[in-house]
Parts: sequence; C-alpha cells; structure tokens
Amino acid sequence: MEVEVTFLSRRGTAIMRRAQRASGERVHIGRGTDNEVRLTDIHVGLRAAALLVRDGELAVERLDNSPLEVNGNVVDTAPLSPGDVIGLGPYRIEVTAPPEGCDGAIQIELAPAAGAGGPEATSRVRIGLERTGANKRVYAWIGFVVVAALFFAVPLIIFNSGLMRAWHKDTPTPAAAKVAGLSWSPGTFSNAHRFFAADCASCHEGAFAEVPDKACLACHADVGSHVPHGVELAAAGKELATLRCNDCHTEHRGIQGSVIRTADLCLDCHRDLQTTAPAAKVPNVDGFPAGHPQFRATLSDVPHTVPVRAELGGPPLIDKPGLKFSHDVHLKTIHDASVLEDRRVKGCADCHTPDAGGLGFQPITYKVQCERCHELTFEKVSLPWPKAAVPHGDDTGVIAAVWNYYAGLALRQGTGSSPAPAAQGQAMERRGAGMPAPPAPGATPGDTQAWVTAQASTALRTVVFEERRGCAYCHYSTAPDGAWNVDKILAQALPPKPNPAPIVAHPMLRNNFLPNAVFNHGLHSGVPCENCHTVGPMKSDGVEALMVPGKETCAKCHGAESATLHVQSTCIDCHDFHRNEFGLMHMTEATAK
Amino acid sequence: MSSTDTAAYATREGRLSRHVSFLAYDNYRYLKWAILAVIAAIILYIAVPPYGGERYGGGWAGYILGTVGALLIVWLTWFGYRKRAYNPEHKYVHTPAPGAVEEIHPPEDPSRLARRLSAHVYLGLALLVIATLHTGFHFGWNIHLLAYVLMVIVIVSGIYGIIVYARYPTVMTRNRQNLTLAQMQAQVTAIDAELRRAALPLDDAITRIIRDSLDNTPIGGRFWRQVSGRYPNCGTARALAQLGTRPSGAFAASEDSWRLFRAKLQEKSDVVARLRRDIRYKALMDVWLYFHVPVTFALLAALIAHIISTFYYF
Repeated sequence: MEVEVTFLSRRGTAIMRRAQRASGERVHIGRGTDNEVRLTDIHVGLRAAALLVRDGELAVERLDNSPLEVNGNVVDTAPLSPGDVIGLGPYRIEVTAPPEGCDGAIQIELAPAAGAGGPEATSRVRIGLERTGANKRVYAWIGFVVVAALFFAVPLIIFNSGLMRAWHKDTPTPAAAKVAGLSWSPGTFSNAHRFFAADCASCHEGAFAEVPDKACLACHADVGSHVPHGVELAAAGKELATLRCNDCHTEHRGIQGSVIRTADLCLDCHRDLQTTAPAAKVPNVDGFPAGHPQFRATLSDVPHTVPVRAELGGPPLIDKPGLKFSHDVHLKTIHDASVLEDRRVKGCADCHTPDAGGLGFQPITYKVQCERCHELTFEKVSLPWPKAAVPHGDDTGVIAAVWNYYAGLALRQGTGSSPAPAAQGQAMERRGAGMPAPPAPGATPGDTQAWVTAQASTALRTVVFEERRGCAYCHYSTAPDGAWNVDKILAQALPPKPNPAPIVAHPMLRNNFLPNAVFNHGLHSGVPCENCHTVGPMKSDGVEALMVPGKETCAKCHGAESATLHVQSTCIDCHDFHRNEFGLMHMTEATAK
Repeated sequence: MSSTDTAAYATREGRLSRHVSFLAYDNYRYLKWAILAVIAAIILYIAVPPYGGERYGGGWAGYILGTVGALLIVWLTWFGYRKRAYNPEHKYVHTPAPGAVEEIHPPEDPSRLARRLSAHVYLGLALLVIATLHTGFHFGWNIHLLAYVLMVIVIVSGIYGIIVYARYPTVMTRNRQNLTLAQMQAQVTAIDAELRRAALPLDDAITRIIRDSLDNTPIGGRFWRQVSGRYPNCGTARALAQLGTRPSGAFAASEDSWRLFRAKLQEKSDVVARLRRDIRYKALMDVWLYFHVPVTFALLAALIAHIISTFYYF
C-alpha cells in the first residue's frame, strides 16, 4: 500500500507543509527509526500503530500500548475514511482524500496543547492562592450576608411579625420563633422564668423600650410594699414611689436569679434615712457589719400586751413572755436527772423542732413540748377514764373538769362510798387549813353538792392551783402582780357559774425576736446551737436572759458584700424588701385599681 | 520622604528589615498606646463595681468597654482596608523569559504603611483584651458569643499573619538560593527537555517512566495543595523510585543512560521540591487572609446584630 503523509507546522498564521510518500504492506507509525512514519515524541510508542488496507478500505490498528484515538474514541482498530481524525500522543492525524495512486493520505500536526501537562503548562494558572478560584471578597460578602440574615434580619422580622407572643396568651409561640429569640438572648434565664422566657414578648413589649412593670405584675400581682402606707418619707418616699421593677430586678443572669443583690440599691436611701425621712424612724445603715446598727430585739412584756424593743449586744435583755421557764434547768438539772429516763432533756432539739420550711421552728406549745413531762392530772383512781386531768389553756374548762369529775364520781358510787382521802393520792391526804371537812358518808342529796364542792375545792387547792405543781408552776395569774391567791380564785370559781373571770395570764411566746430580719435556721443547721445561743442561769425573780445573739455573733462569719475571707453578705440576705404586712407595692396598687 | 529613602527601602536589606520595623515602628509607639489602653480597660473593669454584682457587659463600665471595642473593630477594618490599598497584592510576576527578575511592588509610601500596620497589629491585640473584659466572662449560645468568637478568629488569624510575615520572607529567601521563581521554573523546563531528548530513542518501558515525570509533576495547584505542599501523586518521585534499581529485561538502556536519567530526575526533583516549598511558603503567608478578611465581614454583621439586639430590648 502507499500513503501520502503530510507534516503540517504552523508559525503564526503561516502553515508549512512537508509531504512524503510511505509504502509497504503496512505503513507503521511510531517513535522508532524503523517506522515508515516517524513521530519524534516520547508520548508515542516505538511502534505505535499501523495503517493498512482491509477489505479494500483504509484502516488503522494499535500495535503497542500507546492509546489510539479515532475521532475522539479510544480504539484498537478502526476503518478510516477522509475527514477522520486520529489522535496519537500529542499528534493530530487527519485522514484526507487520497491523491491518485495512493491508498490513503494523512496530514500530521502537533496538537496545539502539546503534552498532557508539564510544569510549564500548569504553573501560570496554579501558583498563588489567588489563582485557585478562592476569592476573599466573595467570601467576605457571603459571611456578612449569612450572619446578617440569620442573626439580625430573621430575629427582627420574627419579633415584629407577631409570631413572638406572651407566654400566657392562648396561642403558643412557634418553636422557630423561640429559637430566633434565643439567639438574641444575652444570657440564660433565671430558673423561675425558664418555662416561658423564650417567648420574648412575655416581658419585652416594645422595641427600644424597657420591660414595663405591668409585664411583671401580670404574674406577681400581690407584691408587698416596702414601707407602711401613710408614713411621710419626704424625698426618700418620692424616690421610692418612682421605683420600677426593673431597677432591682433583671433577667438573663442564669442561676444568679433576677434579684440584684448589690447593697448600694438599699444603701443609696438607707445611708441617711434619719435626715431624709426622720418619720420612718429607721437608723442610718452603711453596710454590714461596719455601718450597721446593733440589732434591736422585740421582746414580750407580759402582762403588758405591747412588746418592747431593745438593743442587743449590751447588758442581757429580759424577755417577759409570761411564763416561768428556765432553759438552764431543763438543759442541766433535767438533763442530768437519770431517774426521768427517756423523759430527760437531751438537747435543744427535744423541744425546738424545725418548721416545715426549715426557716425557723415550730411554735412552742404545751401539747407538743410540755405535756410529755408536765401532766395536768389531779386524781388517780380506777375509773373508766384512768387519769383525771384538766385541759390546758381553758380556765373555765379546768374548773369544769374538776367539778364534773367529782360530780360524776358521786353519781357513780355515791358520796357515802367515796374513796378514802388516802386512796386519792398524796395530794389529798391532808386537808388545807380553813377548808370544810368533806361531807359524811351517806349524806342527803343536798349534801352531795356540798361533797362535790368540797372534793373539787380540795383538788383545785392542793393540785391544780398549787404553786409547786399546778398552773402556777409555769404560769402567772391574772392578778396584776401575777400572784396566785388561791382562796380568791376558788371563791370566784366555785360553785361554777356562767362567764367566770380568767384565771391564768396568757403568755406571749415569741417565735421571732428580730421580726424585721429573716434568719434562716435551716441554712445554719450545720452550726451547733450553742455557737450563737448561750444559756445562762435563771434569775431569782423567775426570768432568764434573752439568748438571741447580737450583731457581733453574725459578724464572726458574715462580712461585707465584697468580703474575701468572710461570707459575702448583702442587705437582702437578712432583710426583705417587699413586706407583705405593709400592704401592696405602689405599682401593684395602681394596677389593682 | 526623600528619593534616597525610597531607594534604600527598595533594597533587599530594606525589605528584610521591614518585618521588624512595622512592629517597632516609631520606637513601639502603637505598642505603648495598646498597653495603655489595656491597662485602662483592666482598671475600669476592676475598679467599677458592676451593677448587680456580676459583670454582664452592661453598666457604664461595660458600655465603655463595648463602645471602645466596637469602634476599634470598625476602625481596624477600615485601617486594614487602607493598608491593603497601599500594599498591592503580592503576586508572583510570571515573566516569560527565564532569568527575569521577579518584581515586588514596593509600597507607595512605606512609612505610612508601617504606621498603619503597626497600629493595626497592636490595637488589634489590645482589642482582644478589651472585648474579653466587655464579656465579663459570661458566654451563652447566642449572637453575642458568635460576635466574640468571630472576633477571636480574626485576631488569632492576624497573630498568625504577624508570625508568618516575620518569619517566612527569610525562610523563602534561603529556600530560593538566589533564584527567582521563573528561573527555577526554567530549570525544570530545561531538565524536562533533556529527559525528553534522551528518552526518545529508548524502549517504551523507560519512556513510560520518563513520561510519568514529564506529565505528572504538578507544581502548585489547588488551594489546599499549595498550602500543604504535599504532592502524593508526583510522577517524578515515582520515576525516581522505579529507576532506583536498574531495570532489567526488555529495558534496553545502558548503565550510562540509567545513571543519566537518575541524575537528571534527581536534579528535577530537587528543583521541583524547592519550587513547591516556595509556593507553600507564599501560600502560608497568604492563607490567613482568606480567614482574616471574610471573618472580619461576618464579624461586622454579628457586631451590628449584637449592638442592635442589646438595645432593641433592654
């Protein structure tokens, strides 16, 4: 076969042709010198391909492993016709119409993009980060737009679209709106507000406006006033009247809570309240412990009903609750009296039981604390009710109980077979001086009343009103001096009559000697009682010193709000701002109208 | 500035010393300002008792710190923009002719550039302290944390920038061994031509190996390739490994041509490695800006959202 081979080379727009004829049984194409058509590039195999005539048609066949392409398709062999393009290494071989006397004609040209790569081919586009397609300006705008859209536009739209609702409205806020709201929330919510705070509109009612009081009052409708109404507080009062919830309460502080604890919030007014609002009768305070006045205890003054206030820290104060009671005796004598066995007083906790909230203690009552030892029996006989006892706290009931007991006894066994005085217990052995003798057995019905009166009178005189074991053991009488004039009492009480005069003076046991402060005993449960409370001996006149400690005792542990080696303490640790006993806070009142 | 100064600046010594001079500009003037600002911020933070006992960025001290921080962010961004405007992109200038000197554009007014750069660096570092104090060390999952984190990313990437600007020019110079990028590329091209020529008459078994080196020796490339400098699919490295022992069998190359190929490939490999290191150093000097600048703009958006949201519902 014979093939016309034309080599094309371009210089600018000029094209040069070099034609030759190749002949043989086959026309070989390759890098080797023994090929009819030699292509001098190492991307072409030594003997890469051959042109041949097959079935009268021109064809190409791959001979080694250099990839052979015909019209862009990788082939092993393919028939050729004019217009076909063979790709071999970097060469482009076009099949043209054969001239006269030839079996075929090809036109060979080095493809414009010579070689598959090579550093010189890539370096210009791939060196330098700015040539990799990375674009700072584009990324910058993407970053700006994404952040502005997600964290500015979206929350703003949601807040203003009405999607965000107050939590107590019937329609719930959609979850997406809550998430958008949370992205603007400057901090976690206080524990109490968590369940609704993601609904921003619950508190925030308008743009660029503070949270209004009414948002708080929607729930906190009965907030106590800080001062009693009607007290003239001059400038301080005016300031107090302008206070908003927001001034002392804030949100988004997590477990810090919504109460601002800074002492200055209180001290700004309380530093010179004596000057600015003398009518308040509140001493100036300038911090704690320094700058804080000594505590003033509120004390009972029985028989007077109005309590007195006195400063602690000086000479021992005397509380007069109207009860003859000695802590000293209970904690020492009775503590040591082994004969009492399980009724011995083992410690403070025997009587002082923490209240349910743990803040203080349950009130001292006869029933709970005293009765276990101090029984009110007056007769021990074998009856359907084994012990005859008087009720506690009911003067009329006492007389009635005794009277009724003997009346019942007379009915049951008759005055004649009344138990011998010896059988009525020690107390009944001796007849009191000036007392009538018990009626003789077998008395007439008229004598039965005399018998009952005599029996009751004896019991009342020798047991119930007896100074060493009866009411008088602990209580004072209603007499001005509190003394027990038993004759007079009996004369008034017996025989029973309607509306008797009270006999026992009511004690005024205080549960809190510092009512203007709140001391949480529960929080101090790790501290032994005696660290703060000193038990002193009872005085001869039947009163003992108050065991409430003064400021110095607190200051052993508690320091100022900026203290480093003491407990940091601020005003509201002990004092409540909102005092429910003073009525409602001013803004609450305004809302209430 | 006199023309003499400009000339001196353009010398190699002048350029090298610039990395020190922007930090030490005017006897550390901006370092002093920055330290002063930081001390003032710390004093403010400690001295002013916060409203409510805890610092949450509010209160007058918090607002001062926040305002100063926000102004610094805007100002530093503007400064950065101005600084870049006087510091045209450092580009490799690819000159077609081998041996052509690579051009580095000197800044139009070097002292102004050094001042801007010095102020940008030191006040940017001061911003980190001021903004951190403004947070009061309270963080939540919100826009405010986002703004802070973006700011920290910007500043940390800036610190990286300071380090690479101080370190890599020297390293690059040492690596280049007085050659320009174009000269090194020309070396590779020359070696390639020699390899091509020498392999032409030889057996396909060896031309395949040489072709691999010619065709598959990437220099530069995609973003992370330039930054990492790792080319795991390198034809030259493969060719060297394959020619580590003299191929037998069909390979007809003589002992001499085997040694020639090995020597040439090794030479190419060395030049290519240096080229790739050069590209990597340059990439490391540039890569931080691909964080620094976009994150700055995201920060500006977050800052706007932070400020507006704070006062929208206060």
